[in-house]
Amino acid sequence: MSDVLISASGLTRYYESGELKVMALDGVDLLIERGAYVVLAGRSGSGKTTLLNMLGGLDRPDSGSLVIAGQNLLTMSSAERARFRLYHLGFVFQAYNLIRVLSARENVAYVLQLQGVKKKQRFQLADQWLARVGLQGFENRRPDQMSGGQQQRVAVARALATEPDLVLADEPTANLDSHTGESLMDLMRKLNEERHTTFVIASHDPAVIASARTLITMQDGQVISVKAL
Amino acid sequence: MLSLAWRNVVRNARRSLITVSAVALGLASLIFLWGFNDGVHNTMMRNLQQVIVGSIQVHANGFFHHPQLVKTVPDSGLVIRLLKANGIRGFSYRLRTFALAAGEESSEGLVLLGMNPDMEKKATRIAAKVDHGRFIQDNDEAACVLGKTTARNLGVSIGDDVVFLTEDIYGALAAEKLTLVGIISSGEMGIDRGLAIIPLGFLQQMTAMGGRHSEIVVQLPPERLEPVTAVLKAKLGKSYEVLRWYDMYPMMKQWVELENAFYYIFLTIVLVIVAAGIMNTALMSMLERMHEFGVMMALGCGRLRLAAMVVTESLLLGLAGIMAGTVAGLALVYYFHGVGIDLSSQMDSVARFYLNPVIHTEIDNSHLLDTVMAVLAASVAASVWPAIRAARLEPVEAIHHA
Repeated sequence: MSDVLISASGLTRYYESGELKVMALDGVDLLIERGAYVVLAGRSGSGKTTLLNMLGGLDRPDSGSLVIAGQNLLTMSSAERARFRLYHLGFVFQAYNLIRVLSARENVAYVLQLQGVKKKQRFQLADQWLARVGLQGFENRRPDQMSGGQQQRVAVARALATEPDLVLADEPTANLDSHTGESLMDLMRKLNEERHTTFVIASHDPAVIASARTLITMQDGQVISVKAL
Repeated sequence: MLSLAWRNVVRNARRSLITVSAVALGLASLIFLWGFNDGVHNTMMRNLQQVIVGSIQVHANGFFHHPQLVKTVPDSGLVIRLLKANGIRGFSYRLRTFALAAGEESSEGLVLLGMNPDMEKKATRIAAKVDHGRFIQDNDEAACVLGKTTARNLGVSIGDDVVFLTEDIYGALAAEKLTLVGIISSGEMGIDRGLAIIPLGFLQQMTAMGGRHSEIVVQLPPERLEPVTAVLKAKLGKSYEVLRWYDMYPMMKQWVELENAFYYIFLTIVLVIVAAGIMNTALMSMLERMHEFGVMMALGCGRLRLAAMVVTESLLLGLAGIMAGTVAGLALVYYFHGVGIDLSSQMDSVARFYLNPVIHTEIDNSHLLDTVMAVLAASVAASVWPAIRAARLEPVEAIHHA
């Protein structure tokens, strides 16, 4: 029996630009099962990032419904959404977005600190996650002392350190060379297989699209196809 | 959070250093000014008490406002026993009346104060204010000490006779001729003019007031003033009046309070400048990190936590400035406490206000604490607006902020 993690229905989001109304999401319906490895594909402006922001509780739709891990995100307060993100979601951003003043270990441990995990334990967990993403020995490096690929691996470790239900990645390979990008995708795919963590990745990178188990294609704010690969 | 806030503070080290320096400079200036202010005020208050007034005076009830020869302390022995029971040794008896003094050239009405010279030395420093001749030495000698202005008005100098005419206990005229042995030049008008000091025993004999006293003067360290006053008031009852120095000379205390109020206004102005400096840094730092704040919110950092981090950063800037400013300010106070600030060129006005020619800075703990706490509060207050702005950020907009 399938276990639905994300259930979205009729998600609509528009932005007003002067007199113009730009439809960023136009009635998106979505069902994603727990443990899925989904790639959202589409051209720039197709609504991938907007949808990802909705799934991450970072933005609210103008209409529709959205339930993740059994919880209705649209009825939550700002504080409840922050707490939901902390315990259920992990993020990987295009520009890595590590905290500049913290080391790799501290960046990974930061989310655990927000959860209230004690210092010794969170540093141990952070070191374990850094080892899993191939960054053993890089624990004390600051972001500016690491390459883009290494920083993105730290971001993946940070996203997974809290063992979330869902990892959302927005163009995770856009700033990486093709070899590093492929290596990162291998890592994410491996983690999905090993830990059954659900990944939703927005990208128009062919290598990322090729790694998808489920490919959702978007155009003009609408889902135009869903393919199991 | 503290560690992250500290790293954010040192992230832009130069800007933080400038802010910390501004806080430190402002605080050091305030501490030094308080040091000068407290040095002046405490010297004034100490001199007033130590020269002649004492910390406390005990009289018969109503004597201070309506002094009369016969209105004497009901039981001096009881007062002395109470003082001794409280470990107080610095006190003296006095007898006070009005007299007409006549010299070679003229006569003048004045206050005639009988003092026991040995006891007086334990209670006040009036003897040290004699700058020509000597203070009275024997409790029964026919000698007097006059203020400089009175001596000049009477046309007398050391060794001359001065005739005093007063009433005795029965209202009969009593007159005595005493030798002028010393002239006081205190700079204070109430002492230099209209006062004659003669031996207590002699005045008691002259007025037939043997064994009776108008006032008992007590000298105390400042911290004992209120408790001893409370004990004396409680034990002595309504036939006595127990007056602190500022009950007798309220103008001095009011002057000190008025000046302190001006300093608090100055303090407020400096605090506004300090707060503006910190707010500028906090706001710039917050605007520069909007993107990072958006990421932190996306990761699950709540708005309150984010605001608390901004406040903590300001607090750390303030604390660093406070530490540096306190050290620098206290070092200045300590240095000028030792070497003093020479005001001898202003000697006339200095003496009139019970000041010494060289002011030694000192700072009251309460003023130091008030100032430090005010700067700390300003640091926190300065962060409120940047913290509110950080807490109001929307994650999506913040993340996309360049």
